[in-house]
Amino acid sequence: MLLDPTFLAIQFLNGLQLASLLFLLAVGLSVVFGLMGFINLAHGTLYMIGAYIGLSVARSTGSFWLALVAAPVAVALLGMVFHVVLLRHMQAASPMKQVLVTFGLIFVGLDSVRYIWGNYSHGIDLPAVLAGGVSVLGETYPIYRLFIIGLGLAVLAALHWGLERTRLGALVRAGVDDRETAAALGIDVGLAFFAVFCLGCALAGLAGVVAAPVLSVYPGMDMSVLILTLIVVVIGGPGSLKGAALGALVIGMAQTFGQVLVPALASVMIYAVMAAVLLARPGGLVRARHG
Amino acid sequence: MLRAEGLDKSFGALHVARDVSLHLAPGVRHALIGPNGAGKTTLFDLLCGMVAADAGRVWLDGADVTAASADQRARAGLARSFQRNNLFADMTVAANLATAIVLAQGHGPVFWKGLRRLSGVAAAVAEIAALVGVDGVMNQPADTLAYGMQRQLEIGLALALAPKVLLLDEPTSGMSPDETAAMQRLIGGLPPTMAVLVIEHDMDVVFDFADRITVLDYGTVLFEGTPGEVRQSEAVRRRYLGAEA
Amino acid sequence: MTDLAQDRLRLAVAAVMAAAALLWWATAGFFGHELIAQVAIFAIFAMSLDLLVGTAGMVSLGHAAFFGAGAYATAGLTVLLGWPAWLALPASMVVAGLLAVVVGAFAVRLAGVFFIMITLAIGEMVHAYLFRSRTFGGDDGLGGIPRPDLGALGLTLDDPSHFSLAVLTLALLVYLGLRQVVGSPFGQVLAGIHRNEARMRALGCPVRHYKLAAFTLAGAIAGLAGSLAAQHNNFISPELVTWTTSGEALIVVIVGGMGTLVGPVAGAAAVILAGHYLSGLTEYWMFFMGLMFVAVVLIAGDGLQGALERLARRFGRAAG
Repeated sequence: MLLDPTFLAIQFLNGLQLASLLFLLAVGLSVVFGLMGFINLAHGTLYMIGAYIGLSVARSTGSFWLALVAAPVAVALLGMVFHVVLLRHMQAASPMKQVLVTFGLIFVGLDSVRYIWGNYSHGIDLPAVLAGGVSVLGETYPIYRLFIIGLGLAVLAALHWGLERTRLGALVRAGVDDRETAAALGIDVGLAFFAVFCLGCALAGLAGVVAAPVLSVYPGMDMSVLILTLIVVVIGGPGSLKGAALGALVIGMAQTFGQVLVPALASVMIYAVMAAVLLARPGGLVRARHG
Repeated sequence: MLRAEGLDKSFGALHVARDVSLHLAPGVRHALIGPNGAGKTTLFDLLCGMVAADAGRVWLDGADVTAASADQRARAGLARSFQRNNLFADMTVAANLATAIVLAQGHGPVFWKGLRRLSGVAAAVAEIAALVGVDGVMNQPADTLAYGMQRQLEIGLALALAPKVLLLDEPTSGMSPDETAAMQRLIGGLPPTMAVLVIEHDMDVVFDFADRITVLDYGTVLFEGTPGEVRQSEAVRRRYLGAEA
Repeated sequence: MTDLAQDRLRLAVAAVMAAAALLWWATAGFFGHELIAQVAIFAIFAMSLDLLVGTAGMVSLGHAAFFGAGAYATAGLTVLLGWPAWLALPASMVVAGLLAVVVGAFAVRLAGVFFIMITLAIGEMVHAYLFRSRTFGGDDGLGGIPRPDLGALGLTLDDPSHFSLAVLTLALLVYLGLRQVVGSPFGQVLAGIHRNEARMRALGCPVRHYKLAAFTLAGAIAGLAGSLAAQHNNFISPELVTWTTSGEALIVVIVGGMGTLVGPVAGAAAVILAGHYLSGLTEYWMFFMGLMFVAVVLIAGDGLQGALERLARRFGRAAG
C-alpha cells in the first residue's frame, strides 16, 4: 500500500494543501522578520481570529465567499491597530521585548475569543461549488483541498509579482537586503514594515478562514499552527518569499507523509527535520540577507 | 615566532589576500602598512583564524596552527587588539580585564570559588591596568570611558593573555598627540621577547618603533624590509609614501 | 555603584525576600502553604533560566522541556520503577541535565533568533513525545507520585506546611548556589560571552563549551524544579512542558531583571500570585495576565531589580 501510486498522489496533494496554508501564514511573518528582526508570536492568534470572523460572517450572511474576503480585511485592520497602538512605539526597544509583548497578546487574544465565541469547536459549511470531489487516479478527492492549493499558488504568484515589479516590493527587497544602507539611502523602512506587517496579518486571517472548513475552529487552534509556522520561517530562511514557500513545502510534506508512513514518530518528525536543516544550513534554506 | 606562507582569501569577486607570506621573529617590532583597503585587517583575521584562508599555512611557535580555531590560536599565544574598540561595554574596567585574565590563567571552569577570592587574578588585573594606564578608572563601565582610555583598555585585554605574539590593529587611531605618545611608550615598553605586529597609519610612529616593515597593497605584499630599506624603495614611494608626502 | 556594592544590594534584597517568605510561611494556612510551594518551585525554575538568559545571554524558549524532564523522571522512577522519592529527586536532576547536554550540543551551534527557535522546537518535540507516550499516560498524565519520607528528620512532607518549608529551603539553597556560580570565574566567562562572544573567542575562550556547560547546569536545576512540581502536585501531565511555561518564565526573568537572580524570584512570585488571585475572580483571567505581561514589558526597562539599582546609584551619589 505504501508504494501504491494513487495513495502517494493523494498524500502528495494533502501535503501540498497543508504547505499552502503554512505558506499563507509564514510569508508575512518571515518578511517582517527579515525587515525588522521582529517575530510576532501572536501571528497564530490572528489566524484564529480570522477563522472566527469568517465563521461569524459565513453564519450570518450564509456566504462563504463573503467570509473569505471579510476575514482578511478585518484581521488586517486589527493588525493596523496593533501596530499603531503598540509596535510603533516599541521600535527602539530590543527585539526580545517586542517578542515578549506579542507573547502577552496570545493570552489576551485567546481569552477574547473564548469570551466572544465560547469554548466550543465549530465548522464552516462550504458553498456547493467547492463541496464536491473530483477523481484523482480513480479516487475521489475533495475539490476544496485543491482550491486551497490553488489559492496558495495564486498568492505566491501575486506576492512574487508584487515584490519584483512594484515600488513597494523594491522598498521591501532593499530593506531586507541591508536595513541600514536602505535607511541611509532615504528608503522608508518603517513604511515598508507597516505595509508588509498589515499584509501578513491579512494573509494570516485568510489562512484562518480557509482552514476553517478543513480543520475545526476552536480556542487554541492558534498554538498548534504557530509552532509549525515558526518552523517554516526558520528553516526556509527568514526574510525570503522563496524561503517561506520552500519551508512550507518541506514541513507540509514532512508532516503529511510522517503521519501516514511512520505514525509513531510523526509528532516528533517535523522537529527533527528542523534540527537537521538548521545544523546543515544555520541560516535556513534560502538566504535573503546579503550583508 | 609567527610564520605565514601563501595566505589567500577571496570574498566573492574581491581578492583580499594574494599569496601573502610573513615572518615574525621573537621580540620583533614589525609594522604592517598600506593604503585603506589593502587587506591589513583581513590579514590579521587570517592570522588569528577568525576568517578561514582559502589557501596557505600558518605556524605559531613552530606548530602548524592552520587548522586551529581562533580560540585555540589565542590559547597557543596569539593575541590581537581590534581596529574598532571591541570591549565588554557595560562591564567595569576591572571586570573587563578580569574576564581576560581568568581565561589567560585557565580559571574559566572554576565555578565553586568566588572570583574575588582568586588573588592571582586581582594581582594580574592591577598589573595590566597599570601597564596600559587605566588603573585610575577601574570601577567605571568601559562604555563610559573617554575614547583614548577605551583604546588603552582594548590593548590591555590583548596583553592580559601574556601572548608570545601580539597583533595590534591601529592602536593610535583617533588619538590625540598626547595619547599617541603614551601609546608609543606603551608599545616601546612591551616585553622584549614578545613579537609585535602593528597596523599603523602614522608614519612617524612606524619609523619610531619598527624593526621591520611590510607594505601591503591590494592584498599582496608590495615590499618587506627594514625602515631604511622601505624609505629607499622606489615602489613604496610611488604607491604609498608618495601619496601622503 | 561598584560591582561590590551592587552585589551587596542584591544579597540584601534576597535576605529581605527570604524573611518575607518565612513570615508568610509562619502565618499561612493550608492554601497559603500550597501557594508558597508553587511560588518557590517557579522561582527555582526562573533562577535556572536566569543563569542561561541573564548571565550567559542564551535566550531559550524551550526551558520547560527540562522542567518536564525532571517531573517525568521523578514520576517514572517512583511510580513506574518504585524508587524512593528522596533518590528520585537527584536522579531527576541528572536526567534533565543529560537531556540538556544532548539538546545543548545541537543548540549552542546557533545564535540569536535561531537559538530561540531551536530551543522552542526541541521543547515542543519533548511535549509532542510525552503527549503520545503510553508509558507516561499520554495526554492524561500519571498520578500517585510520592514525596520523600523525611520522618527521620521529624518532617512529614505530605503536610503542606512541611513541604512548603522544604521547598523554600531548597529555593534558598539554589539561590545561594547560583549566586556563587555567577560570581565565580566561570560566571565571569559566561558574562563575557553574553556581552561579546567574538572578543571572548579572540581571548582564547572555547565559547561553545562554556555555553554547553551553562545550558546543562540550567537544565539540571530546571529538572530539580520539575521534580519538586511532580511531588507537589503528586501528578504529571504534558501541560508541564508546554512552551507557554517557558515563555512565562522568560517574561519573569526579563521583567524581574536579567542576571540578578533576585529579580526573577520576585517576578516568579508576582506571576504565581497574580495568576492565583485573578483566576479566583474571573474565568477569563488569562486575558488580564496577558495584559499584565504586555504592560510590564513596556514599563520595566531593565527589570525591577535594575530599577532598584539605578535608584541606589542615585542615592549613593547623593550621599557620597
